[in-house]
Amino acid sequence: MIPIRPTSRTLLILPVCLIAVGLWQIGEGSWIYAKARLAQYLLQRAWSRALAGETAVKPWPWADTFPVAKLIVPSMHIDLIVLNGAYGRTLAFGPGYSEPSAFPGSPGTTILTGHRDTHFRFLRRLRQQDEIVIETVHQRPQRYIVQRSQIVDARTASIRLTEGKDQLTLVTCYPFDTVFTGSPLRYVVTAIRVPSSPLRSIDRASP
Amino acid sequence: MFKRLLRASIERSARCFKYVSLYAVLSALCVATLPAPAAPVEPELLHTGIVPTMGLGDVSEGTLLFKTNQRGRFTPAPVLKTDVQMAVTGIIARTTVRQEFSNPSHKKGDWLEGIYVFPLPETAAVDHLRMHVGERIIEGVIKERSEAKKTYEQAKQEGKRTSLVEQERPNIFTTSVANIGPGERITVEIEYQETIRSDSDRFQLRFPMAVGQRYIPGTPVIIENQAPKGTGTILDTDRVPDASRITPPVQAPSRGPINPLSLSLTLHPGFPVSKVESPYHPIIVVPDADGGFQISLKADAVPGDRDFQLIWYPAPRTEPLATIFTEQKNGETYALLMLAPPTHHDDKVASIPRDLTFIIDTSGSMAGPSIEQAKSSLAAALTRLTTRDRFNIIQFNNTVRSLFPSLEPVTASSIRKAIRYTETLSADGGTEIVSAVRQALKSPQDKARLQQIVLLTDGQVGNEEELFEMLHLRLGTRRLFTIGIGPTPNSHLMRKTAEIGRGTFTYIGNVTEVKDNLDLLFRKLERPVLNDIAFDSSWPAVEQYPLQIADLYEGEPIVVAVKAGALPQQATLKGFAANQPWSMPVSFKHASSRGGLSVYWAREKISALMDETYKGSVEEAIRKAVLDVALAHHLVSKYTSLVAVDVTPARPTNTATEPEQPASAKMDESISINELAKGATSGQLQLLMGLATLTLAWLVWGFWKRVA
Repeated sequence: MIPIRPTSRTLLILPVCLIAVGLWQIGEGSWIYAKARLAQYLLQRAWSRALAGETAVKPWPWADTFPVAKLIVPSMHIDLIVLNGAYGRTLAFGPGYSEPSAFPGSPGTTILTGHRDTHFRFLRRLRQQDEIVIETVHQRPQRYIVQRSQIVDARTASIRLTEGKDQLTLVTCYPFDTVFTGSPLRYVVTAIRVPSSPLRSIDRASP
Repeated sequence: MFKRLLRASIERSARCFKYVSLYAVLSALCVATLPAPAAPVEPELLHTGIVPTMGLGDVSEGTLLFKTNQRGRFTPAPVLKTDVQMAVTGIIARTTVRQEFSNPSHKKGDWLEGIYVFPLPETAAVDHLRMHVGERIIEGVIKERSEAKKTYEQAKQEGKRTSLVEQERPNIFTTSVANIGPGERITVEIEYQETIRSDSDRFQLRFPMAVGQRYIPGTPVIIENQAPKGTGTILDTDRVPDASRITPPVQAPSRGPINPLSLSLTLHPGFPVSKVESPYHPIIVVPDADGGFQISLKADAVPGDRDFQLIWYPAPRTEPLATIFTEQKNGETYALLMLAPPTHHDDKVASIPRDLTFIIDTSGSMAGPSIEQAKSSLAAALTRLTTRDRFNIIQFNNTVRSLFPSLEPVTASSIRKAIRYTETLSADGGTEIVSAVRQALKSPQDKARLQQIVLLTDGQVGNEEELFEMLHLRLGTRRLFTIGIGPTPNSHLMRKTAEIGRGTFTYIGNVTEVKDNLDLLFRKLERPVLNDIAFDSSWPAVEQYPLQIADLYEGEPIVVAVKAGALPQQATLKGFAANQPWSMPVSFKHASSRGGLSVYWAREKISALMDETYKGSVEEAIRKAVLDVALAHHLVSKYTSLVAVDVTPARPTNTATEPEQPASAKMDESISINELAKGATSGQLQLLMGLATLTLAWLVWGFWKRVA
């Protein structure tokens, strides 16, 4: 009986496969972040076209969505294009506007959703009294002031849409620093609209 | 020699094991150093009082709640007695619910305000509110919503007994009752009308029985804004109650939660009935002279753990059956015409060759379970085609593609092709729904065949106006049926599309429902009984809802509500049965007179008006039109409420009112956070997995070098 000796060739196949799988995973992972970045560049261009008067501008020809607003946090140099619809597909490219809620910048509660590890990573750094600006095509920019941040359980919590207040609710996953997805917790930032004011702050945000 | 080799291989595997375990430890370390997914944090506000409280969303039955000091939390008052009277006319049921409640407190000056929450079917119309105080009955008045609220608030301040009924959502109504004295009993009487549900060959009516038994959550866990200013977003967790873990609260233990319920019912189905039954409660059925039934519960004390359900079956017949009821009210005549399809089908007549076009949405928003549901729905539909039929499959995302250039006869090979095609469908890209429907409407019209288009989509599209307009223009003799897929389909779009397409809308929430729901739909599609139904032109000017009478399908009666100054003695209903002209004289002369028809007509008109929103009408115009109908017919709607005020003040106004209640806890439209998309990508996990795999590769490489 001759034992099966692992030949050098069979043993070589294993690390090669592992390297391939590893690179593939890293590629997929990086692609998610690259896409999130890249899409925002394309979206900024689509946004300028929208400002120039086009409606429902598709940022790329096969897009399933279009930019609806610009989300600016002047103090953190955040400048994001918000997309119509908040399902997995759109969130890969930018924060999404959840459709039954009020249209960004209009009266009522507007809900925006984003990924905690890409566009909405900055939510954890938002503090009370921070200023958020929402720019839309047809309106002058609206200012919001952060009221509070909460951690809620998505299985049970809900957001009221008609509070009689004009507010902006930003929702992302929680906890921020975990590699696992699928946590039932959500991080919710609520900001209330304030009268528009010094154009200064807006100029600073969109140079 | 053999031994040496064996030892060498053992040694090698031991070394190998060392590496493997090193890797295991390494990766374990990796994972451990990452913050673990946090255990659910304590909600900011954990409420555990002695008296269990609940949120409005916990209510599954009509229930009187007392406001607590805590905003949005209520404590339920024990129900003393419930008396239910129902009258069924055709497919309309009128229900009067009288419930006697008490303020359990005996403390002097402990005046309370309560909210009464009543979940009703979506078609329910609440049109009467009566408050019984002692011997007096105070009838609720219909007013514009804001005005009614003002009246209520003012009466409350003045210490008068007052109540208010508001529509919070199409199926949830609330009644607020103010100034209930300590130990006092107040009877609230609500009258509502609903449409009977019918499926395949039976009609059923339900009444939620378990008042005061099932609805209390064990430990209420609430996340709620407690800011005393009451500003900002309220995130409240409205738990679904779990009946088995619940003990009802006993507010005044001496009385106990006694909850007798009496129920009586009159049934006038409008057609011969073969059987009446109540699956959960023994009943007594007494037939009366005009083909109706008097029904009451056999036992006085009925088990309060099950909804009352009454089911009746039409007697078998082969002809469609038209039933008419009329009502005279305020100089107008209202009529309700019910057309019931035959229960037994003549197979010779039934089968007409069909042209079926399936349109399937393969846009990005369908990715995940939605596309799987759509695919299995499509596969199920394909199996029901016969060799006389023709079919085609069109898929759309940002482009429109179709399986065959035009309608293809059903053969073994074409079906095989179609099934293979279905299996390869995947979701990606945009949503060019209009082009897809246009493509389907290009097929030549053929009167000899049933031309049906089945649209499977989640309806996440922006250009609905364009779609509706095109359907209006090009539908012709075709019929369009919509199947709503996924957790949050745009059901307004799909219901509307089906209505204009003169078909039906079927909603499928999850994969397990696919088979049952679609079987029902496809059976219907195979056998339309009558189409193009309309009254003949000699019919005088009437206002009819629905504006366009739908086709008559097996197992689904059609109901038409009309209003006219005067009705003719006779009218003719025309249509086509299996391509043959069909007509039926409808005599109003002997129509039996019934109450509630005007309310049904008004409810239908209001929902038709609310639909105008999707046709792009201005909300203000709709509001005005709805106000006109709702005020005239005493109906609670989105814009109107019922309010009753007792003229004599009950609570001495100099005593301090109950602890200042925070602003009324309005139950607003809200979005469950769970409906929102998940807020994280798998990017980090994939990067980490990638790195770990590379490390492993490096280790194995090292091992290999040593061995080699």
